[in-house]
Order: sequence, then structure tokens, then C-alpha cells
Amino acid sequence: MRKVILLAVVCVSLEGCANLGVEPWEREVLAREDMQLDANALDTAFDDHIYFSKEGTSGGRGFGGGGCGCN
Amino acid sequence: MAGAASAAAAAGVTDMADKDVKIGAALAAATCSLLGTAAPGVSVAADAEPQWDIESAFLYYGESDDRVKDLSLSAHATRDFGDERTLGLDLSVDSLTGASPSGAIATDGVQTFTSPSGRKTYSTPAGEIPLDESFLDTRFALNGSWSQPLARLYRVSAGLGFSSEYDYQHIGANFGLTRDFNQRNTTLSAALAYGQDTVKPVGGLPLPLTQMGDAVDDAMSPANRGDSNDTKDVLDVLLGVTQVLGRHTVLRVNLSYSDSSGYLTDPYKLLSVVDPVTGDLIGRTPATGASGPTGVYLYESRPDSRRKEGLYAEMRHDFSGKVLQVGYRYSTDDWEVDSHTLESRLRLPFGSSSYLEPHVRYYQQTAASFYRYSLANVTPLPDFASADARLSEMDALTFGLKYGHVTAGGNEWNARLEFYRQTAKAPNDVLIGNQIGNTQMPDFDAVILQFGYHFKL
Repeated sequence: MRKVILLAVVCVSLEGCANLGVEPWEREVLAREDMQLDANALDTAFDDHIYFSKEGTSGGRGFGGGGCGCN
Repeated sequence: MAGAASAAAAAGVTDMADKDVKIGAALAAATCSLLGTAAPGVSVAADAEPQWDIESAFLYYGESDDRVKDLSLSAHATRDFGDERTLGLDLSVDSLTGASPSGAIATDGVQTFTSPSGRKTYSTPAGEIPLDESFLDTRFALNGSWSQPLARLYRVSAGLGFSSEYDYQHIGANFGLTRDFNQRNTTLSAALAYGQDTVKPVGGLPLPLTQMGDAVDDAMSPANRGDSNDTKDVLDVLLGVTQVLGRHTVLRVNLSYSDSSGYLTDPYKLLSVVDPVTGDLIGRTPATGASGPTGVYLYESRPDSRRKEGLYAEMRHDFSGKVLQVGYRYSTDDWEVDSHTLESRLRLPFGSSSYLEPHVRYYQQTAASFYRYSLANVTPLPDFASADARLSEMDALTFGLKYGHVTAGGNEWNARLEFYRQTAKAPNDVLIGNQIGNTQMPDFDAVILQFGYHFKL
């Protein structure tokens, strides 16, 4: 049930998203390397690996951190 | 003013990209001449775009009190085949040494344990938290992925992964699909990953909640061990939305679900068995002529399934060239480990080609329902129990600073220094008798030092 509500929230949010965003010629800043959500992939992979082996929760951002006998 | 700065920055990026092409072409030409390739090959290479983008790094991770140390070398390489088709390769080698808390409690006297192999014993001085000194491993991991457009607005990716340690193997596959909406301002993504891991501990799998026995010689098998290996399967599902909120802001929200089943116990973790009234360790005498534990220690036992659900949100915002990144994760699971993680980075460019990036992270979790500081000597025993501090109530704080410099050739080298402090807690309801007000949790500090080089070929 909780998942259905979450899905509904996501759908309603998406409806709202149609009004958000920029025109293609306004992407100068967004196109910069340091504005990419996947920038610093290696730092993130190291961090995920460390926290996966030292804490009780992992994942969320992607699938990183798993496949290790350290937890 | 802000626009002018951004335009200047963008122009700088273009300059660097041009230099990359030139440097890449020069390198290719030099390689060709070394290999004795004919002149036409050189002219083709001179026109070629750089094709490999490689991030490489060396990482040192070291815990206080001579606990775990990890030296790691990693490379993340992507190759662009044109038309937005990319190949990704990740290679990683880790070398782990040091000691790890076994789960047993500190006591007023010296404690002796049988090593995981069941062949030797080791002792822990009075008043100290028992650490398993035989923590030594080399890990090798390789991942490959392919990503390409599927149709207009759709993108598909698929990957395979493999990792190996002397007592642990992992194979995994993943598949993802994204679709752009709203002039590519909104992207929906769905991804699925499946992994199968094989656990093959030294000395065999301990039988859950059975007692650690005396050390034995090579001719005999250690007490209370079962099969030599077991497996676990992990299925992960991720649903995500990426939304451009404006010219300077982008947001990502992920919902995740993870289902693990199979052998989820840590074969090297122990529980101290204590008097149900005083909370003191129950003593044990090894057999005549044998060496072995001087207290009663049981191997831990965890459920054979775990379901996690998570929410992750990340935002990047540009302030005139400075980039603020804020992330939050909430996770909950049927082991009752609920966690909150809050993380932020601020990238501060300075000079013409350098940046500083402070980083802070706060993590907090509740204890698993079966977490015990120790186990009371009563029958029946619970079905599941673990004294692994990673399943206790805890919080952790990370502070770090990264420095990066882009070279004239457009490559980047960087260095990162971080401090991590973990504080585990044992509330009074998991303590017995004398343990109250007298606990020692295996808290630790760690240093993370990383050197990276990002270049193109």
C-alpha cells in the first residue's frame, strides 16, 4: 500500500515537472562536468565500498558497494 | 556578472577540450612512431577525438588502534563509440590487513579464542575489546557495462560484475532503462540488479549459535562447523526521477528495494555468553592438553532473508561557478535497521584551474532487532543473535577536503583527505547486570587518503 502511495506521489510530482526545466539553449551551466550527478564516480565508489563494510545500511544512490565479503 | 563568469568557465572547458584533442593526437602520433606505424596512420590519429576517459585513484584507509587498513587501486574507464554509445570498465584491487572486532565483549581478565581456521588460538589482554587478528585479504573486482540509445528519448544499459576474495566470490548482472520527457528536463529511470555471492570461510561455516571449541590439528575438523560454503542472492530494484529545476539546479530522487536471501550471517562474528544476573562472561576450561577458549563464545546467527526499502535524493546547485551538492538517504528494513544519511559537498573553484571541495557526512542507524551486546546464559536461546557493532545503534561523522587541479593538457589530478568517526551505542535494554555503565563498544576513527588522476587517451 505504501508503495502505491509513493508511486502516486511520484506521478503527481511528474505532472508538476512539466512546468519545470529549461530551454535547450539555457543548458550552459547544467552541461558543465561538475554539475553532472554522476561526477566523481570513483570517489563515490570508494565511499560506497567503505560505508558498505562499516555500517548496517548500503545502496540507494545506485548499486555500488556490494559484492564484498566485508559485510 | 554571474552569467559572464559561467560563460568564461564554459569557454575554459572548451579550451581544455581542444587541448585534450591535441595532446591525445600527439600521444597517438608518438605511440604510432614508436610502433613504427606508417605515416597515413598518424594522420588518421591526428584527426581522432580522445576515446578513453580514465579516472584512476589510489586509496589508503586506516583505522585507529591498528585495526583495519586497506590499500586500494581503482580505475574507472569509459570509451565513447559515438552516437552516445559507451563502454564502461571498472577495475579494483584491494589489500586488507589488520584486526577486526569479533563481537565478544571486553572483560577484566585475559581472554583466549580459537582462530577462525580452528587450528590456532589468540589472546586479548584484560580490559580490551577482542579483535580477530587474522583479518587479511586481497580483493579483485571487475565490472563492465554498455550503454546506448534504444530509440529517441530512450536509453538502455546492461552490465556484468565479478569480484573475488580468498573466502568470498561475487557475480552480478544489471540492466537499466531511462526515458526523457519534457524537452529532456525530466528523466525517468528503472534499473534491476541481481547478484549471487558465495561465502567460503576459513575452517568451514560455523553452525549458528554453537560454541567455539578448542584448537585442533590439521588431521581433525574444528568443532561445530558445517558445510564448507554457502550462497546468498541479492536482487535490487531502483526507480528514479531526475529533474532539471532551473538553469542552475538539478535534482534526482531514487526509490530502491533490495531483497537478500541465503547465507547472511558473518561466519567470523561471535557472541559472549554471560551470567543472566551479573552479566559477567561464563568461564570455560579447555580439554586437558588442548588450547582453546577460556570463556563461552557462540557463533552468531542472522535470518536468511532481508528486505530493504530506501529513498535517496540528491541536488546540485550552481552559485556563480561554485557547486553545492546535498544528498539525503532514508533506509528501512525488516531487520529493523532504519538509517538516515545526510551528505554535502561544496566545490569552490579558485585560480584558473583549481578547486577545493569540503565534504561532510552524517550517518545514524537503529539497531537490528536481533542485536545483542552479549547473550544471557538461559534456554532456549533466541533464533537469531549478533553482537556485530555494524548492527548496533550507531552514528558516524565524516569530514573531508578534496583539492583538484586541471593541467594545461586538460587532465586532472586530485587529492582527498577525510576523517571518519563511528560511535556505536548499547542502550541499557541490551545490557545485563554489571554491564550497565561499564560497556566498551568498538568505536573507531579512520583516515581516508586518496590520490587521483583523471586523463583521456
